[in-house]
Amino acid sequence: MILDATVDGRTIRVEVRGRAGRYTVVLDGRSLEIDARETGRHFLSLLVDGRSHEAGLEKRPGGYTVVLDDDVVSVDLAEAAPGAAPPARRPSGPTRVTAPMPGRLVRMLVAPGQDVAAGQGLAVVEAMKMENELRSPRAGRVREIAAREGQAVDAGAVLLVVD
Amino acid sequence: MTGRRFGKILVANRGEIAVRVIRACREMGIRAVAVFSEADRLALHVRQADEAYPVGPAPSGESYLRIDRILEATRASGAEAVHPGYGFLAENPAFARACEEAGVAFIGPRPESIALMGEKTSARREAVAAGLPVVPGTLEPLADDEAIAREADRIGFPLMLKAAAGGGGKGLRLVTAPGGLRGAAERARSEAKGAFGDDRVYLEKAIERPRHVEIQVLADTHGNAVHLFERECSIQRRHQKVIEESPSPFVTPELRERMGALAVALVRRVGYVNAGTLEFLVDQDRAPWFLEMNTRLQVEHPVTEMVTGEDLVKLQIRIAQGERLPFRQEDLRQRGHAIECRVYAEDPDQGFLPSPGRILALRAPGGPGVRDDSGVYEGWEVPVHYDPLISKLVTCGYSRRDALLRMRRAVSEYKVLGIKTTLPFFARVLHHPAFVAGDVDTSFVDGVFAEADRGRDRPVEVAVAAAALAAFRERQASRPSPGSSGPARSPWWEAGLRDAQGGRAG
Repeated sequence: MILDATVDGRTIRVEVRGRAGRYTVVLDGRSLEIDARETGRHFLSLLVDGRSHEAGLEKRPGGYTVVLDDDVVSVDLAEAAPGAAPPARRPSGPTRVTAPMPGRLVRMLVAPGQDVAAGQGLAVVEAMKMENELRSPRAGRVREIAAREGQAVDAGAVLLVVD
Repeated sequence: MTGRRFGKILVANRGEIAVRVIRACREMGIRAVAVFSEADRLALHVRQADEAYPVGPAPSGESYLRIDRILEATRASGAEAVHPGYGFLAENPAFARACEEAGVAFIGPRPESIALMGEKTSARREAVAAGLPVVPGTLEPLADDEAIAREADRIGFPLMLKAAAGGGGKGLRLVTAPGGLRGAAERARSEAKGAFGDDRVYLEKAIERPRHVEIQVLADTHGNAVHLFERECSIQRRHQKVIEESPSPFVTPELRERMGALAVALVRRVGYVNAGTLEFLVDQDRAPWFLEMNTRLQVEHPVTEMVTGEDLVKLQIRIAQGERLPFRQEDLRQRGHAIECRVYAEDPDQGFLPSPGRILALRAPGGPGVRDDSGVYEGWEVPVHYDPLISKLVTCGYSRRDALLRMRRAVSEYKVLGIKTTLPFFARVLHHPAFVAGDVDTSFVDGVFAEADRGRDRPVEVAVAAAALAAFRERQASRPSPGSSGPARSPWWEAGLRDAQGGRAG
């Protein structure tokens, strides 16, 4: 199986073959012999050239969140089209800013048509007893405000659109 | 009430602190009664208690903050005492008074002490009278923009805006210049209103690069008062503590003795009873400035327990039973070193945004010198309604270095799936040279650490290999004959990982 794995915007071609616990994983052309066994639901024990790693694997749409000893890494996986180069990252376009958790929209800090810088505060959402400022993921212009102040919002609800 | 023995205690709280108090009760042979909101029927504290009573819907204003319902549960259960934990009703004098009037012992200070020391400006006045140095600021709470602007002008910038009824970093804002005052005041007052039902604020001069050091005190009803040394709480994010330790690497024996004596002086002046904590800022010249008093058990009390060998919750209960403190000041010692990391359901890579949800898998660390005060379990859903603290991980050792190395090891062992936690953040803080050297102030997380953290190396290779192997194994499991190509319309990522277990190969 050949996959394109994307971490932090960088895409790595990865090939996996083998069975019954013993696998060959080719990462960007480098070949690793890996002994991988389940150690309970959601966990794999990996032996890579004698080095032991315990990986927690949390499946999510489009890939896995991998919980390692000292870090958590989000890996997007896509089937690689045979012979094709890794796909380019998504080009810029309208970006929807969504509520990261259920809560209440306390304040909208920007207005439609306003230019915003990357990292600029856009809205304040109250959840779990704290007011959290949502920051702009990119520089752009506020195209649309999709929620009003005081409104209860669900996780994933679109609050505004920046393009 | 001397000589009284409680047979049953109601714990008016939830989460890890409710579990902590229930454990103390059980170890003392006291029956523990839990209360729970509709969102907490399956919470750990309900499962561990001897009895449990519902107190209302999920929002804390309709359940854990309802004095009438908590007292109704107390009556129904026949509990003789109430332990309030921290937060919720712990520092509400009306609750302590209502308990008293209902003939139930409140395990904490007297209502007058809570009112006097809980209101931050009157606490500052008492501290001044007891001879404690206080940070320059307003001695009265302020409720309108004009008064706030006038006082800010007098004190000067940078300054801190704080909720008069506050605590836990809520309603707290640093204002560096006059231009930011109005917006910060608006935000602080709205947050304070929501959290405490009181939008009054006060101002304090901001001390540059302060250390946050606090002194634990205990006093009984017979006039005995001691301190249990200091806790260093300088590792904060959003003005909330995330790592605490005892002893403080910054505090000298002379400063320790001085701060302890100041704390006991204030306790004696106000006739304080039970456990409490005096918070100080210590400036770069090691001068302590009294900040506020917390009239309750502190979240980070375990580090004090680990170095003194005393159980603060049991002592709280014994004091409320009218017993004398079982030791004098000269009997108490700090032995070794303890560190606590607060494991929050928050995403450290997204500015510590809360991350509620179901805990898919949980592996807690063990071994020598490790204590995990957790309030959660695998399969449980962390509710959105409450504070996102899920556990306090504490390690101890002969030296700070021992405790630190042990904490690195324990953090590595700790695995939580399904929600984001502050654990990977701790793994990196524990390796940062400034933290290793004990040379941190309250600006560490947002300043020097954030800077160093931006370009960090991530274990990408192992992560990608693990993810690709999981995907590959899942596909193999769903297609028993390898080599045959599966239907394109059922890609591997739509099959549940759970399903893969059935066809697991050798």
